[in-house]
Amino acid sequence: MADIYKLIHPVKYFNDYLSRNIRPDGRGFQEQRNIKLNVNSIKAADASSVVKCGNTTVVCGIKLELATPKAEEPDMGFLVTNVELPALCSSKFRPGPPSDFAQVTSTLVSDIIVNSKCIDLKDLCIAHDKLAWVLYCDMVCIDNDGSLVDACVMTLMASLKTLTLPTVTYDAETEEISVDTSVRTKLKVHGLPVASSFALYKHLQSTIVLADPSSYEEEMCGGIGANLILCYNKGFLCGSHKFGCCNLPKECEEMAFKIAKEKTQLVEEVVDVCIKNYELEQNK
Amino acid sequence: MEVENTDLKDFKLRPMKCECNFLSKSDGSAILSQGQTVALVSVNGPLDIKMTSQSIEKATLEVLFTSKVGKPSVADRYKEHVIRQTCESAILGSLYPRTGITVTIQELEDYGGFTVCSINCACLALLNAGVAMRHTFAGVACAVDEQGNIQLDPDAAQLETARATMNFVFDSREKRLITSLTNGSFSEDAYKEALERCRSASQLVFDFYKDIVSKYSYVIG
Repeated sequence: MADIYKLIHPVKYFNDYLSRNIRPDGRGFQEQRNIKLNVNSIKAADASSVVKCGNTTVVCGIKLELATPKAEEPDMGFLVTNVELPALCSSKFRPGPPSDFAQVTSTLVSDIIVNSKCIDLKDLCIAHDKLAWVLYCDMVCIDNDGSLVDACVMTLMASLKTLTLPTVTYDAETEEISVDTSVRTKLKVHGLPVASSFALYKHLQSTIVLADPSSYEEEMCGGIGANLILCYNKGFLCGSHKFGCCNLPKECEEMAFKIAKEKTQLVEEVVDVCIKNYELEQNK
Repeated sequence: MEVENTDLKDFKLRPMKCECNFLSKSDGSAILSQGQTVALVSVNGPLDIKMTSQSIEKATLEVLFTSKVGKPSVADRYKEHVIRQTCESAILGSLYPRTGITVTIQELEDYGGFTVCSINCACLALLNAGVAMRHTFAGVACAVDEQGNIQLDPDAAQLETARATMNFVFDSREKRLITSLTNGSFSEDAYKEALERCRSASQLVFDFYKDIVSKYSYVIG
């Protein structure tokens, strides 16, 4: 019965839930979905992780390559991020070249990582103007159920935190490169940027802030993806992206900041515990 | 809104110049310069579009962004997305169901603050095209330097030394935030201060819109 009601009166169905201070999936307005994280799940990659926030599932794999640095930035390595949204993850996507939304998500994720300055590209340089690491970070969404950017940033950061770089010796005279994969050093990661998505919905005269929206909620709120994305790293904001939709009053803004901070703590804890468990298992 | 009453002269923006009906073949067009940054926007619509992209409840908005040099990039798609969402919140799309509105933006000169310049120019072009809108919208950019000082509407030289840049778009009715876009990292206090200062400065842009509209509408003017 409820399913038919949802099809016939989509807006009223959604409003009826919100007016009773609950969301269609049974969560409160500020409630996050459960987060499940697993690191180093793909053995073929140099570092990898899988994250599941509610139903949203994203896999990230990092491959390492050596390259010559750019002439204009001779002591910098490269961090290349890419988000893929195959037709598998949602009925909204068709197979073929990356959709506009995939490109937007890709830009957002790479902007957040660059702005947070969590990776110093100078750490990736091996020999000035001659040799540097390239980190190819590929994220593939397996199931898209909203808050995609949050999941992408989380899985990318968990992968980066477990990434170890092999020792490379570069002979400047003979230009010979020798890679020793048995001696590995951890990549330095400064802080842990966490993105928090919100959907803003105009209900009667007030604006409702829905934390960690599902794809159904994102759609009802008029946006393709979340309306508001806040990103924190080490107590500093490293991104505040709002995309149209309804206007944001001050009190809602304060609330969004508060929720984003809480989520940052939560995600930090999840990532730390997961990596600690993984390392314990490795040392057994 | 602590800064609301302070003298607006404190909030200086670079001089703005605008010409509407710049293109003869589009339904509405505007060329806007903010300092040395120049954007050209053409609006066509409501027009007939292919069945698959028609929406039965509202007009389908399409934003095309062309940069001055280079191939279309992934970053351009992101800008299109931001501008499209901004325009969508302002346009009364339900008045034009099953039609499309196309907004084409051409970058002419970028000396800092191009995103807000193109957003402001898009608003003027939409007004010029006579598309029904809930409100107009105005974008203001600002930069935060190493000392934490906030510089409104920065030029290219100021952007180079900036630690973070922020772009905000406000609506004309209650000056509420429609869109925000930030670059770099900054504290929450800096964000809030920048937001309030940009909010006050947006009044200058809205006043400018009024001047332009009255200049072009002989009946009202």
